[in-house]
Amino acid sequence: MKIIEATLFALKIPFTESFSHSLKSRTFSDSIVVRIKAADGTIGYGEAVARPYVTGETVESCLKFMADRIWTKIVQIDYSQAEKDIKWLFDISQTIPTENLGESIIYNAAKAGFELALIDCFLKSQNLSLSAILPPQRNSVIYSGVITASSIEKAVKNAKSFKLFGLKHIKVKITGEDDILRIGSIREALGSEISLRIDGNAIYNLDTAIAICQDLAKFQIDVAEQLIQPTKPKILAQLKSQTTIPQMVDESLITLKDAESLIAAKACDFFNLRISKCGGIAQTIKIAQLAQTAGIKLQLGCQVGETAILSAVGRHLAAWLDNLIFVEGSYGTLLLSEDLSRESIHFGNGGKANLLRQPGFGIEVQDQILAKYACETIRLF
Amino acid sequence: MDTRVLVESRYAEQLKFFESSELFHLVESGLGDNKFYDDFIANLCQSHLKSPQILAFLYAVAPPSVVRFIQYNMLEELGLDAEGICHPDLLRNLAIAVGFDRDRIEQIEAGSQSELHRMCSEPLLYGTLKELGLSVLLEVSSFEWMLSRLAGRIGQALQQHLKLSSENLKWFSHHSEVDIRHAEEGLDSVVNYVNHYGFNSDDLETILDITFRENVFIKRYFGEIALAKETNILT
Repeated sequence: MKIIEATLFALKIPFTESFSHSLKSRTFSDSIVVRIKAADGTIGYGEAVARPYVTGETVESCLKFMADRIWTKIVQIDYSQAEKDIKWLFDISQTIPTENLGESIIYNAAKAGFELALIDCFLKSQNLSLSAILPPQRNSVIYSGVITASSIEKAVKNAKSFKLFGLKHIKVKITGEDDILRIGSIREALGSEISLRIDGNAIYNLDTAIAICQDLAKFQIDVAEQLIQPTKPKILAQLKSQTTIPQMVDESLITLKDAESLIAAKACDFFNLRISKCGGIAQTIKIAQLAQTAGIKLQLGCQVGETAILSAVGRHLAAWLDNLIFVEGSYGTLLLSEDLSRESIHFGNGGKANLLRQPGFGIEVQDQILAKYACETIRLF
Repeated sequence: MDTRVLVESRYAEQLKFFESSELFHLVESGLGDNKFYDDFIANLCQSHLKSPQILAFLYAVAPPSVVRFIQYNMLEELGLDAEGICHPDLLRNLAIAVGFDRDRIEQIEAGSQSELHRMCSEPLLYGTLKELGLSVLLEVSSFEWMLSRLAGRIGQALQQHLKLSSENLKWFSHHSEVDIRHAEEGLDSVVNYVNHYGFNSDDLETILDITFRENVFIKRYFGEIALAKETNILT
């Protein structure tokens, strides 16, 4: 089946409150939604989140790559029907170009946006759910709360809200300023039962990272995520060997090759997978499979500001993946002032969210919401 | 801090932000264009059309010391009290008076129903109904508190700038300054509810923070995008 048209929506959905970490403060979602139409009239939706400090993509460069490189290629392909086989996901992914322009620019988000749209479209065309290919291993998914790098007073208020919501896992963004006071205050507010992890977004060097892990260990930190800048795996291995807190990589892990190097160097205990960062479902699965073989534990993370589309895909993956310890995302209207799906995607009490069973990714995207928040729309024929 | 003082201070913060917003100024000054006033009235109607249903939920979770007040409010909204004026009908009359066509009125009714649908279908973040009930009671009574102070001014502005009659603006006069007693009783209800269910001060403050993390008046009356602009989330 051929794809006959695509529309790219560059969105600007306001947050309900600002979200900050050490690299960036955000007040709105700038996701790109890809809406494609197949020859049989079926519509599919995908989502890309361009992050310069992750894959080197900006919204502008991502849109350009999508229009100039991806659309021109996929519009020529006559795709086979969806199959209940993970290989079909890999085959779809193979048809979508990406480009590695060296160390810092990889068009993974652009690729993910189109991959998701194609998979959603072809699954819906066959009235199949993604869960037919990725059968759930659990009945629900338990999400973590994330505390933004705001003032300590605000961070403690967030911690109390999450405790009231019954969340079992909480991640805190740390910035290198008042980390001990911040984590100590949050731990005090949460009590000792709730799992706490930290995320440095690469703000430390090796020495300060080792020091902060030593200082924070007394607060029962389960994982430290990407404390230092993406660097040689052997430096990450040094950090891992010199701290008692398990180490997770995020910005250091974009490609399958990154995963292989990190595993070879025994550089970390956890991988943070993110669907947009990793280039879609297929590439995320390949990295997860590699991790499983190497005994690396997994977190399925998200990009701040993801809409219901990436949240829904994340839900399917989280229900299916082995060795998955932590899950992030599905914040929906807890962060966005309005989300794209008709049904609410956000998790409930305890961070628990039900599985999605409807065709495609299991959500109904509302075109009027896309139109309402689109600051740029590109139609491709 | 004393529960009543704490809750009232949050209502006052919400009201102050709303009253000093550019949007409220536009309503009062007459500087808004026709679309601005139409959208404001449509949002206001949509926000309050299902008030009896919301009060019915509160009636179900209200402790004995609060139930009579909620019951009185609910019957009053439905027009089943001595006065016999159905408040949603006052809003429908207002919508007709400003010249909304059948499509627009149906859109408002559907929007109001859809909000109830959302409330019922959304995963619950709170662990129990007592917490959800408190959050709903806080928002409902904050509107009563705000309307008791500002409804008269809003009604007057609409009369002056849209040339609406007093008859068409009855909903505002029902909720205006004369209704201060009502708003005070709303505060009493919150205090009694908090005491009955034994909320500790930490949880009460957290629920206040969650309920009023955004300005509920701007959000309901002017929409999400306007709120985001007003709070510099979207510039």
